[in-house]
Amino acid sequence: MTCLLKSVEQIMNIMNMLPLKFHMDPLGAIFALLTLVIFLCSGVFATDYMKEKEHKRSFFIFFILSGFIEIMLCAASNLVTFYMCYELLTVLTVPLVIHDRTKEAKMSALKYLFFSMFGAYGALFGIYNLAKYSDTLDFIQGGSVPASVFASDQKIILIAAMALIMGFGVKAGMWPLHAWLPSAHPIAPAPASAALSACIVKAGVLGIIRSLWYVLGADKLKGTAVQTAFMTLALLTVFMGSMLAYRESVLKKRLAYSTVSQVSYILFGLAISMGQTGVNSAEGAISYPNDALVGAILHVLAHGFIKAALFLVAGAIIHHLKITKVEDMRGIGMRMPFTMCCYTVVSLGLIGIPPTGGFISKWYLATGALASDIPVFSWLGPVILLVSALLTAGYLLTPAVWAFFPGAEYRSSGKDLSRSEVGPLMTVPIATLTLLSVLIGIFPDQTVALIRQIFTYL
Amino acid sequence: MKLLFTFDNFRLIYVGIATFMWAVSLILSAEYMRHYERKGRYFFFTLLTYAATIGVLVSADFYTLFIFFEIMSLASYVWVAFDERKESLRAAGTYLAVSVIGGLVMLMGIFLLYDVMTRLGVTDAPLSFERLNYLYEATKLAGHESESRKVWAAGLCMLFGFGAKAGAFPLHIWLPKAHPVAPAPASALLSGMLTKTGILGILMLTRYVFAPAGFSDVNWAVLILILGVCTMAIGAVLALFSVDLKKTLACSSVSQIGFIMTGIGVGGMSIYELGTSGAFLHMVGHSLFKLTLFLSAGDIYMNLHKLDLNSLRGYGRNKPLLKLIFLSGALGIGGVPLFNGYISKTLIHEGIVLLKEYTEYLIRIGAPVVLSVRATEVIEWIFLISGGCTVAYMLKLFICIFVEKNPDPALQALYDERKPYMNRFTATALAISALIPPILGTTAVYSMNGMVNAVAPALKINTDAEYILHNYFTLECLKGGLISILIGVVLYVGIIRTCMMSEDKTEYLDIWPKWMDLENVVYRPIILYALPFVFAVICRFMDKLVDIILFKLRRTVFKDSKEFEELPEGNRLTFTLGTYASKIDDIRRKLYKLKGRKLGRKKDYVHRFAMEYEGFKESRTLIFRSMSFGLMMFCLGLVVTVAYILITRWW
Repeated sequence: MTCLLKSVEQIMNIMNMLPLKFHMDPLGAIFALLTLVIFLCSGVFATDYMKEKEHKRSFFIFFILSGFIEIMLCAASNLVTFYMCYELLTVLTVPLVIHDRTKEAKMSALKYLFFSMFGAYGALFGIYNLAKYSDTLDFIQGGSVPASVFASDQKIILIAAMALIMGFGVKAGMWPLHAWLPSAHPIAPAPASAALSACIVKAGVLGIIRSLWYVLGADKLKGTAVQTAFMTLALLTVFMGSMLAYRESVLKKRLAYSTVSQVSYILFGLAISMGQTGVNSAEGAISYPNDALVGAILHVLAHGFIKAALFLVAGAIIHHLKITKVEDMRGIGMRMPFTMCCYTVVSLGLIGIPPTGGFISKWYLATGALASDIPVFSWLGPVILLVSALLTAGYLLTPAVWAFFPGAEYRSSGKDLSRSEVGPLMTVPIATLTLLSVLIGIFPDQTVALIRQIFTYL
Repeated sequence: MKLLFTFDNFRLIYVGIATFMWAVSLILSAEYMRHYERKGRYFFFTLLTYAATIGVLVSADFYTLFIFFEIMSLASYVWVAFDERKESLRAAGTYLAVSVIGGLVMLMGIFLLYDVMTRLGVTDAPLSFERLNYLYEATKLAGHESESRKVWAAGLCMLFGFGAKAGAFPLHIWLPKAHPVAPAPASALLSGMLTKTGILGILMLTRYVFAPAGFSDVNWAVLILILGVCTMAIGAVLALFSVDLKKTLACSSVSQIGFIMTGIGVGGMSIYELGTSGAFLHMVGHSLFKLTLFLSAGDIYMNLHKLDLNSLRGYGRNKPLLKLIFLSGALGIGGVPLFNGYISKTLIHEGIVLLKEYTEYLIRIGAPVVLSVRATEVIEWIFLISGGCTVAYMLKLFICIFVEKNPDPALQALYDERKPYMNRFTATALAISALIPPILGTTAVYSMNGMVNAVAPALKINTDAEYILHNYFTLECLKGGLISILIGVVLYVGIIRTCMMSEDKTEYLDIWPKWMDLENVVYRPIILYALPFVFAVICRFMDKLVDIILFKLRRTVFKDSKEFEELPEGNRLTFTLGTYASKIDDIRRKLYKLKGRKLGRKKDYVHRFAMEYEGFKESRTLIFRSMSFGLMMFCLGLVVTVAYILITRWW
């Protein structure tokens, strides 16, 4: 008995050293809200989508659990808690990927597990090193690692920062460790892909923000090789993802590559805004965060809503018409007009056509990048973002055009073009997400003000 | 960023024109669209485009303008793709690509401009036209070298976007493709209004951002002028060669946009603002002409469903109202005196003449000039010849449709029947729109000069220098117009009637070589094939990089799987051969079945070959291990040895 109590005490001791702490700050709230909305929408969608599928129970259990853990991850208020939730999230989402039990699904799940674990250990290495220099791993705005340490042990801290970026970058699908994403996301059932692609990847983004902005202090990395490397990797990923999505013919894979590209928009925004302040002559002394950071957080939201909607649309098409390839999407605008209208609207949003959310986030990303004083990247970034937007138009608008304008020959060829829309359990979540993606484009002011407030510290 | 709107006289006039154009085309659409399916989406997107166009017109800054511009571009896509024929979809693809690329490049320009403004400390409405006034000059004079370079780059990017919409060279490719396939009322709006929004952007750039203050950098205006001259000439030549009614009108639009840009360029280069007022008036005029012309074309298409000039020939001989309506548009666009096209072209022409004098003056006082006197002379002549081309192709259209008889008498008889070809509403609307050019043209000194006076503040026209003429019918002015008309008649008689018609004058020939198409030769191969291919190869490699490394590592570090799966019997050779043999056997059996022959039992060749192989292996071991084989090898060895000895002995 005494022995047992001793061991419990020991465990408690360990927990004292590494306390689990939760506190929902505004940044976490933004991510948590996104998670909540997307899991709710995908969950409702899944009730219809999974109706006749096997292993329904395991799907829903792991789906709800991973949503729950993701919200806990958003609320984590020190790096240890964050890391534990992060690992749990990986483990809990693997069953979603493996759901079909086919060989391909198993291999993709293993790949996902391997890459994620690899990344997580990279991040862990960074965390150990930060823990050495910081008294606490709690999240404090501006970082808790003192600047004096940075002056003395610069190399180690830079390596740790790079490890953190690369490690959390795995989940965010940053090149070169993105390869799991295009194979794991499309293989999961559509609602799970929506959740994976729209929120789970954002855990990586949040990881980078938490470790760099709240523990290390991102200002310290300004002008270092780490920043240059981070920007380069992000830009390469942006371009590569779009290009490969443009060449991909399976709709869900195309969307997965698109995620690779779009999440790196966010990463680029984070990278270029490190240590940059925005201009605000009106209030003079207050140094605003750089607009690229605002754009990055806005893009987290915009991309979340849009990508979830896109995957749900893809799911509805697969479920209802058994179409997986983009070439076969000809004429489905006549069959599922409402769904395809939503698809078109969110596609325009992802390209960044006003007045949708994607435009606003891109506006802040690009103007913020230009306002920074980093040579070359300040203009190269916006250029690559726009080239990628063009490719996005190429890969998302062509199916929309085919869907609504199948061509006179196709119409007269006797193919079935009668209207057969999916049920409200599918259309309502899609419509909700579409509406949200447009609303944050039309009324961005509140969100922008909130984000500015989060990152403003004197 | 907030949306900003403004409403001055310039906007008032243009919103009025837009509303009038939409009203008239909707009246025709009601009749034109009678027999089409899915007209709901046509009308919906027409109205959406109207709303967006009004938004573009009344915007007070580039941000607002861009937002509505994009909505307008995408909404108008539906017009081009509307009837879903193959060529419509292709043209619509081109239109979409040009719009999207143009929009994104323009966005880059806006980013740069915004950046410059925020760096200069303007955070309140940084992109409004008023605040951008003289921006380039200001940055240059203040010595902000990098900022002024940025402004210039921003200007180029935005010019790309606006030029793409306006149809300026070399981005005019979408016009001749998209206009003929769109429904005619939509073509009228595309050509009359949507291209003008591009011009509006170029005007705002030239009059505000790059507004010259006195003797200063006129490179921007020169760029606009050169682009304008190229556009003007290329459009005119393309239109001259075309044998399709709506394509001719579309190419003519390209050419007229060139005239307008030339006017803007000329106005920006000298202190005299004749060019700018001319450009503005030509903008207004062109909207009206193209409305009339495209709607007439639409009326013809609605009845005949043809646009080829050879089949349309003689259609309008017996239709006086249509003839008059078309004539009004044709005379207007041709720049014939008493029509408003003459007034605007005269202003631009006088602007070029004054530019020449101004350049001579600058050279006299030793100031630096960008364009020499000779260059301005060349520009003047290109201007006059393009004007001549306009007259020539309009003559071609008019004579073909309304004067000549069709070579097929039966068809001509059919065309001459007195049948209603448009309803009362359409006729009234068209007649009203056709009345405007002559009314404006005859009362030019009051109406058109009045318009210029009204818009002068919005376009920053300097009313102290010469900016309008008070008499448009002086000998000097008439000379330019008459030279153009003369050139037009000469071109018509000398080229169209002789080279572009068959020997017996029964057919208009399409002598423009098919392959000479900027889009098919340059843009499509590069954008659709070359660039994606190259980048896709690179990206594919990047994508697979980690996979390749992992694979290699796995192969070198631990080899846990065999390269091939194990076969149940035989070896790989017998398996392959057997599979093929079975397939051949299958085909043979199918053939036999067709012929009705008797079939034996099906054989499994994979198994058979494997058995053969087993047998072969067995006998080989038997042979190899037998005494006789040893003896045979011994004998062979002996023979070889003996042969060797003998050979070495004898040699």
